[in-house]
Amino acid sequence: MNKKLWAAMFLLGLLGLLAGCSKKENTNEEQTTSPSSEMKPAANATPIDPATAASVSGTVTFGGAAPKAQKIDMSQDAACKGNNVAETVVVNDGKLANVFVYVKDGLGNRTFDVPKDSVAIDQKGCRYHPHVLGVMTGQNIEIRNDDETTHNIHPTPKDNREWNESQPPKAAAIEKNFAREEVMLPVKCNQHPWMKMYVNVVKTPFYAVTGEDGKYEIKGLPPGDYTLAFVQEKMGEQTQKVTLAAKDSKTVDQSFKQ
Amino acid sequence: MPPVPEKDPIVSKSYAAYYVIAMMILMVTLFWALWDESFGQRPWKAFQHAWKDRYSAFLNSARSKSSQSEKEVEQDSQYQQLKQAYKDAYETATPRRDELQKQISDLSAKILAVQNVFTDRRAYVNALTYELETETSASGRKSKQQDIDDYKKKKATVEFPDGHRQQYNFQELEEAYNSLKAERTKISAELGEVLKPVTEASNKTSAYVSDHMVDLTPTQIDGLKKKAADWDAQIVQINVPEANIVDRCESCHMNAREPIRVTAALMTPKGEKRPDEYAQAFTSHPEPGLLKTHDPEKFGCSPCHQGNGRATTSVEKAHGNYEHWLWPLFPKQNAEAGCQTCHAADMHLAVGDVGAHISNGKFLFRQRGCMGCHRYEGYDKEPEDLTSIAQQMKLFDQQKIDNSKTAADLMKQADAASSNDEANRLNQEAVALRVANSKIDGRIQQLDFQTHSLMQDMKKIGPNLKDVRLKLNRNWIPAWLKKPTDFRPTTKMPNFRLTEHQIQTMSAYLWQSGFTDALPKQKPGNAEHGKQLFETRGCLACHSVGEGDQMQGGTFAANLSRVGEKANYDYLVRWIHNARERTRPYCPYEKKDIGPEDYAKKGLPYQFDLEHSRCPNDGHELQVQNMTVMPSLRLSEEDAQDIASYLMTEKKEEPSAYAQASYMDDPELKEEGKTWIRHYGCAGCHEISGFEDEGRIGTELTYEGSKPIERLDFALFTNVAERGGKNAEPITDPEDLGRLPEGPAKGPWYDHKGFFEHKLAEPNVYDKGKVKSETEALRMPNLHLSKLEIQDLTTFLMGSEESSLPESYQYKPGDARRDIQEGWWIVRKYNCVGCHQFTPDQSTVLMGMKHYQDAQEQLPPKLLTEGARVDPEWLRKFLSNPALSTTDSNRNGVRPYLQVRMPTFSFSDNELRKLVRFFQALSQQPMPYIPEQVPVLSTKETDMARSLFSSSAAPCLKCHATGDPQHDRIATAPNFLLARERLKPDWAERWILDPQAISPGTSMPSGLFRRENNHWVFAGPTPASFQGYDKDQSRLLVDYIFQLTPEEQRRVAASRGRSQASVQPRNKQKQTGIRASAAGSGGSR
Repeated sequence: MNKKLWAAMFLLGLLGLLAGCSKKENTNEEQTTSPSSEMKPAANATPIDPATAASVSGTVTFGGAAPKAQKIDMSQDAACKGNNVAETVVVNDGKLANVFVYVKDGLGNRTFDVPKDSVAIDQKGCRYHPHVLGVMTGQNIEIRNDDETTHNIHPTPKDNREWNESQPPKAAAIEKNFAREEVMLPVKCNQHPWMKMYVNVVKTPFYAVTGEDGKYEIKGLPPGDYTLAFVQEKMGEQTQKVTLAAKDSKTVDQSFKQ
Repeated sequence: MPPVPEKDPIVSKSYAAYYVIAMMILMVTLFWALWDESFGQRPWKAFQHAWKDRYSAFLNSARSKSSQSEKEVEQDSQYQQLKQAYKDAYETATPRRDELQKQISDLSAKILAVQNVFTDRRAYVNALTYELETETSASGRKSKQQDIDDYKKKKATVEFPDGHRQQYNFQELEEAYNSLKAERTKISAELGEVLKPVTEASNKTSAYVSDHMVDLTPTQIDGLKKKAADWDAQIVQINVPEANIVDRCESCHMNAREPIRVTAALMTPKGEKRPDEYAQAFTSHPEPGLLKTHDPEKFGCSPCHQGNGRATTSVEKAHGNYEHWLWPLFPKQNAEAGCQTCHAADMHLAVGDVGAHISNGKFLFRQRGCMGCHRYEGYDKEPEDLTSIAQQMKLFDQQKIDNSKTAADLMKQADAASSNDEANRLNQEAVALRVANSKIDGRIQQLDFQTHSLMQDMKKIGPNLKDVRLKLNRNWIPAWLKKPTDFRPTTKMPNFRLTEHQIQTMSAYLWQSGFTDALPKQKPGNAEHGKQLFETRGCLACHSVGEGDQMQGGTFAANLSRVGEKANYDYLVRWIHNARERTRPYCPYEKKDIGPEDYAKKGLPYQFDLEHSRCPNDGHELQVQNMTVMPSLRLSEEDAQDIASYLMTEKKEEPSAYAQASYMDDPELKEEGKTWIRHYGCAGCHEISGFEDEGRIGTELTYEGSKPIERLDFALFTNVAERGGKNAEPITDPEDLGRLPEGPAKGPWYDHKGFFEHKLAEPNVYDKGKVKSETEALRMPNLHLSKLEIQDLTTFLMGSEESSLPESYQYKPGDARRDIQEGWWIVRKYNCVGCHQFTPDQSTVLMGMKHYQDAQEQLPPKLLTEGARVDPEWLRKFLSNPALSTTDSNRNGVRPYLQVRMPTFSFSDNELRKLVRFFQALSQQPMPYIPEQVPVLSTKETDMARSLFSSSAAPCLKCHATGDPQHDRIATAPNFLLARERLKPDWAERWILDPQAISPGTSMPSGLFRRENNHWVFAGPTPASFQGYDKDQSRLLVDYIFQLTPEEQRRVAASRGRSQASVQPRNKQKQTGIRASAAGSGGSR
């Protein structure tokens, strides 16, 4: 009899202990909790070895008859002199100028330093020089006014911040940069409605703009598979794939049609 | 030997086993009771334990991130400067500080030494004085006085800390003590002065850090860490006795108001993929901005979210998700329902994304015509207001008669009064009554104006069906009634599930009851030009063309893709020219349409418009307009013909392809058609002959959300809805199924949300399985709403509750905020937001269109600061006549260069008043407006200002219109001559300084002036006359613009345009003309 009783008491005690402890279990397990959204360090890709770097170049052509360049009327401002032909589509002997060529895909998550040197936009003869500009994100752009008239520089971006600043003749250069990637970002002058240019902001240094002869060259690429994009302000974007082995220098041509 | 008792229960049987069992049960119960008391009934304790651990761990990592970014901030050169300044200040102050501190400590030691002796002696003197005061005999007093004097003369020795001793009598001692203390105070003050720059510099550095840190500073996080570490489990509650709010929600939602943003992912324990119940409970309130305007200490949680704020025993109880609680927590998708409980009087509640659902729900309720059948407090008030005004007028008339009678009576009494005093008193009373009557006359006049306004404000969501014969292809009507979405998928007209017979009779009634007046014949127009006008004048801000992916334009008004199949050209031209033009006026008093014969009877010309709105028969206010919100674009007849011609080409098949519907002329069908039109409540949205006074056929929905669930008729689906599980979804039609915001029901849906969603997705779903006659079947038509629209309308209906909160919690402000509240109803009514931006986060229909992507300067102006920009009196004039001219109206008054046209909305006085106040209130401008006096400029100042105005560094007149048609072709900004009457000078100056801040993206550039020596100076070169000018040059320019005369502007324009004028031969005009139109139709390339 006694034994039974003690056994029962023991059991009860155990039960009580259990009840007492059960709440602790709840709280212990989360001791090591830590937030899961810590910043992942940018994966550092292997540096580009100049010895194996490849390059790609080519010519962009325009298929069919070159469109007749549109004359623009600049007579509203006496200070605007010189070439008065629209630069929407510039073709010389079938070669297409002002096409922005860049490596759209294939570099993975490599990051590149932003060049310290700034690039320039000149306003001269009420036109922008260059008409199409490539620049890296965060890189400084220096905007100068060489005209005897006031301009205002008014980018109308999709993914960057918009601004609009006046620049009288001989005023100090305006320095700006764009923080986010955006291709064919229009810049205009409200006072001279024909004045228009495009800034192309990319994250890599691998870009070029075709010259009057339609030629471009992109150097220093590590071997790999790439997608090259050719962007023309009016005719839009076309892409081509290219595989570059070490020290390759390939030719990739592209043709646009209107 | 004593007899052995047989079977003594005490010795023969043991109850130990029973006792043990009983005790065990007792013990178990006891422990269970103890456990339940502290945990079972208090699940929040477990929450708080988990919170403490998880939150502390999170804060630790936040702390390290924060010190990282603090370090980054400390790298800034500005911070370094501040830090250096602090160091410098510290170093400069240190020698003097040390010196002063030394002096103070020396002085303190001296004071202490003196004090010891002084307080002793003072106590003795005080004791003697007390004895003197209590002494009664004169001689005793004298001797005591003597004692005191003697004691005061006695010298005492003070030993100073440096060892030297000095003797003082009492008075010297007191003086020494006081002077030492005064000196110490002086030196302390000096020390404070010396340290002031140091503390200031130190404050500046720490302020710089907290100002430049995106998140909290490490010190702030340390505070939070300490709070979490010291936390003891306890109920956290908000108690607002006057509103009877007791909300204990924060006993589990511990992070709701923490100053650091915490997401469920951040609170999820490592290794777990999905946030558990705890992690979800520990998130911050997603909209801390809302909590700033709705302080939880005043509002609690449950007034917005509902649920049972007092319950703490389980999550279900606390959230009110059990059958005995009438206000269950609003589900996440419908959380904004809570806004409606206090903001029922608002039409617009959105700030960015917050409030977008409820605002859209409120908008849809009007826009989709729900209010045509369902009364809802605040919607479509005009008819009710008209009735109440008519009653008031009657009362006033009666009161006037009574007053005159009483006055006559009083005067009679006065004539017969016994004394002059009495007579005068009575006469005075009579005079007062006459004055009262004059006041009543004024009031009646105002009510009369109100009636005029209300008749003007009254709109119908659908078109006027009295005009069917004039406007429509007869054979199209039955096809349309059959299923409107087959013809136009995006139409507002719902599908009534009509039978062929119903369609025939209803169309017969509509056809036969329509006006038969003759329309003027219109010349055919130029469809190509019409298309161009249609795309540029702004029609697309409300209307759309194209179907499916090809659709472009707004959804506010009809899609016009197939309008050519149904419309009559002559009517369409009249409609485009002025949609408000009515065929015949309607007299609500006589309840009939008035025709030329009624006017002829009185010898009056048949002329009715807003200026001629009285009934020729009885002088009552007529309805002289079509009750549509479509405005007049002030187009020429030719332009209207061109647009109509273009629209007539918008068709998929020929109008003649519709089957002949000759039965529509059958008079026998007409009467039956009338009963069906009444049955389906068509007159809720349309003006129909014979139904002008028809009431609403639906149930009132103002408090639908708080209707007891038993009174929502789930019909045969009550059980299924309660049970859930398989086959819980009663809707089978795939199209209707696709409308349910959260897809087909899987679980139980026996709640308000479930009822509304199913009803809106398939309005006759609760008829399923029932045997009903045609007249008994549910009448609500299928509005073919999208998922999002149903979600928003459900949110609106769920929030439509009779609030248990005190009246003061309802948002019914008495100040300028009320003007904002009322203004939004009008702004949404006429779809002003289709063209204009009112807040930076709101986008317009036109902004999104490709046409304007490259020609942003062609967009209608942004109205972000309109109230601060324009003179309210000018705004009133502009809103009633946007051409700012009665003769030359086919243009924009302010921005003639815009292709898009500010229409004439024919706002009533009522609406004009509200709109003007709305804009002023939005910009926090006081009413009435008292214009700022602009100083008259001296000749010298005028010359200086002119040099700025015409400077080549700020060529104002290059872009701004001047009134010279040659120049205005290329202008992209308003004429300065408007400024004086239109603008507020202070705004004009802010505009000149930084236009991008007022209207982001404007053509007007920033950077024309720069800050120099606390003044705004012109950024370009200035003539010598500016030497020594020490006022804001921007202000000078504004003052000049505000006194600009046409002659002065012409002179300046001529002087800067001279070089051009010489090279501007005749043929130049043609070129500019081409460019202007090129710029209008898509960029200026």
